[in-house]
Amino acid sequence: MATSRDDFVIAIRSAFLKKNTKQKFSLLTLIALSIFIIILSGINFTPIKKTKIFINEIVYRSSFIVSLPENFIVNTFLKIKEYSSFYNDFNKNKEELENLKSNEISSEIIISENKELKNLIEDYTLSSNKILAKVIVDHKSPFLRTIIINKGSSEGIEIGTNIYDKKYLVGRVIEVNYKSSRVLLLSDLNSSVPISIIPGNIQAIIVGNGKSLGEIKYVKDNLVEEIKDQSIVYTSGTGSIFKSGLPVGKINTSGNKFFINFFSDFDQLKYVFVEIEQNKLTENQSNLENGNNIETSISNTEKIKLEILNEENRILKETNSKFLNENQLLKSQTNELNNKISNLQKKIDTQEKKISQRDIDKKELEFLRLNLIYSSKCTRSAFRKGYKVNTPEYKECIYRKGKKLDD
Amino acid sequence: MIRFEKQGFAYKFYTWLPIIVLYISVLNEFDLNYLNIDYFSFNFPFILIFYFSLKEYNKFDYLLVFLSGLINDTVVGFPLGMSSLSYILVCTFASYLRNITIRPHLIKDWFYFLFVISLINSVNYSVLFLFFSYDLNITYYVINNFFTFLFYIPSSYVLNHYLEALND
Repeated sequence: MATSRDDFVIAIRSAFLKKNTKQKFSLLTLIALSIFIIILSGINFTPIKKTKIFINEIVYRSSFIVSLPENFIVNTFLKIKEYSSFYNDFNKNKEELENLKSNEISSEIIISENKELKNLIEDYTLSSNKILAKVIVDHKSPFLRTIIINKGSSEGIEIGTNIYDKKYLVGRVIEVNYKSSRVLLLSDLNSSVPISIIPGNIQAIIVGNGKSLGEIKYVKDNLVEEIKDQSIVYTSGTGSIFKSGLPVGKINTSGNKFFINFFSDFDQLKYVFVEIEQNKLTENQSNLENGNNIETSISNTEKIKLEILNEENRILKETNSKFLNENQLLKSQTNELNNKISNLQKKIDTQEKKISQRDIDKKELEFLRLNLIYSSKCTRSAFRKGYKVNTPEYKECIYRKGKKLDD
Repeated sequence: MIRFEKQGFAYKFYTWLPIIVLYISVLNEFDLNYLNIDYFSFNFPFILIFYFSLKEYNKFDYLLVFLSGLINDTVVGFPLGMSSLSYILVCTFASYLRNITIRPHLIKDWFYFLFVISLINSVNYSVLFLFFSYDLNITYYVINNFFTFLFYIPSSYVLNHYLEALND
C-alpha cells in the first residue's frame, strides 16, 4: 500500500516538476502562472488589461491572415452555392424590391415625422455617424458568438456601440482595442435585448440561443397569447443599451417557445456598420448657449427641413389630386359601361322572346300543314274510328301520321 | 516514403510542424464550425497537446503551449489564462500517464483522454460560469467533449505516421 502511494507521489512529482532537456519551465510553474493571470484578468488589473489589448491587436491581425486560406475555400464554396440558386434568388429579390419600393416612400415620411416628434420630446437629439468596418475574425465558436472588426477606439468606438448589417441590428461592442473591437452578436447566450413586438406593441426581452436564433425569454404571462407567428420585432430602447426602433427579426413560434429569426445572417457578415453617436444640442439650448452663428445654422437646417417637408407635402397633394381625377374618370366610365350592359340585356330579352315566338309559330304551321293532309284520316266519322277535332289525341294522331310519312 | 536532409529547412519545418499546426489551429480554430452542423464542434488543440505530451516530443515546448493558450483566449474571447490553464493541465495529465505507463496502449490512452478532457472542460465551464458570470450552454461542452474524444483515434493514427516519418 505504502509502495503504491510512493509510486503515485513520484509520478505526480515527476509530471509536475521534472523538466525535460528542452523544457524551459516546469508544468507547475506554468499552472501557477495561468491561475495568476486568470485572477488578475478577473479583477481587471490594468497592466493585464493593457497587455491583453496589445495581444489582441497582434492576434486579431495574425488570425485574419492565418484564416485567409480557409476563408478562401469556404467563400468559394458559398459562391458556387450562390450561383446555383442565382435565378431563384433574382426572382425573389425582384418581388421584394417591388414591395420595398412601395414601402420606402411611406417610411421616409414616417422617419421625418419621427425626427420632428423626437425634437419636441427630448432636449437633445442623437445624430449618428455610421462608419463601415470589416469583419476580420469570425470563427463561429460554439461557446461564444462574437466577431472582431477592424475599427477601435481610434475611430471613436466605445463599449456598447451598436453594430448594424445594413439597417438591421447585429450586436454591440463588448471589448475595444485601439484598432479593433469585439462585437457580441445577438445570437450569443450572453446577449439580452429589450424589444417591442408588432402588432400589439408587446414588450419583451430576447436572449440568443448560442446558434443563429434568438428566443423570447421574458414576457408578461397574460401577453403570451397575443404574440403571433411572423410578428416583427424591433428594439424598444429600454435601458438605453440599444437605440429604439431598430429592426431585429421575425417571430417563429414553436410550441410554447418563441424564436426570433434575425433579419441579418450572422454567418455571412463581411462588413458591418458601426454607429458612432454624438450628442447635438437642440435649437432652444443652442440659442442660449451658443451665439448667433449656431442659431443661424440651425435655423438654416430647420429651413431646409421645412422645405423638404413642403416639397413632400406638395408631391403628396399632386398625387392625391391625380388619384382623385383618375377616380372620377373611372367612375364615369363605369356608369357608361353599366348603361351599355343594361341596353344589351334588354336587346337580348326581346330577341329571346322573338325566337321563342318563332318556334311556336313554326310548330303551329307544321301542324296546320299536316292537318290539311291527314285530317280525314284522324277525324272521327260514322265509318272510321278516329278522334274529335282539336283534342290532344287528335293532334298526336296528326303528328304521328306526318312522322310516318317523313320516315 | 519521404526522406529529409537532416540539416535542411524542410526537416526543421517538419520537426516544428506540430507546434505550427497548434498555433494555426488556435488562430484559425479549424474545427469545421462553418459547416453549421448543429452542435458539432471539437477541440483539436486538446488532441494535439495530449498526443505530443504523451509521446514526449521534444519540440513540443510547454511554454509554447502556454502561449498558444493565451492566443486562443484572445481569439475566442475568454478571460486571459483560461485556455493556457486547460492546455497545461492536459500536458500535466499526459505527463502523469506517461510516467505511470510501462506498456502504452492506444485504447487505454483514449479513455484516459476522455477522462482528462471531461475534467478540464468541467473546470473550464465552472470557472467561467461561477467567477466570470459567462452564460454558456453545457450541451455544447458535452458534445464538444464527445467529438474531441471520437477524433482522438483517427488523429493519433495520422500523428503516428508523422512520428514514424520523422524517426526514419
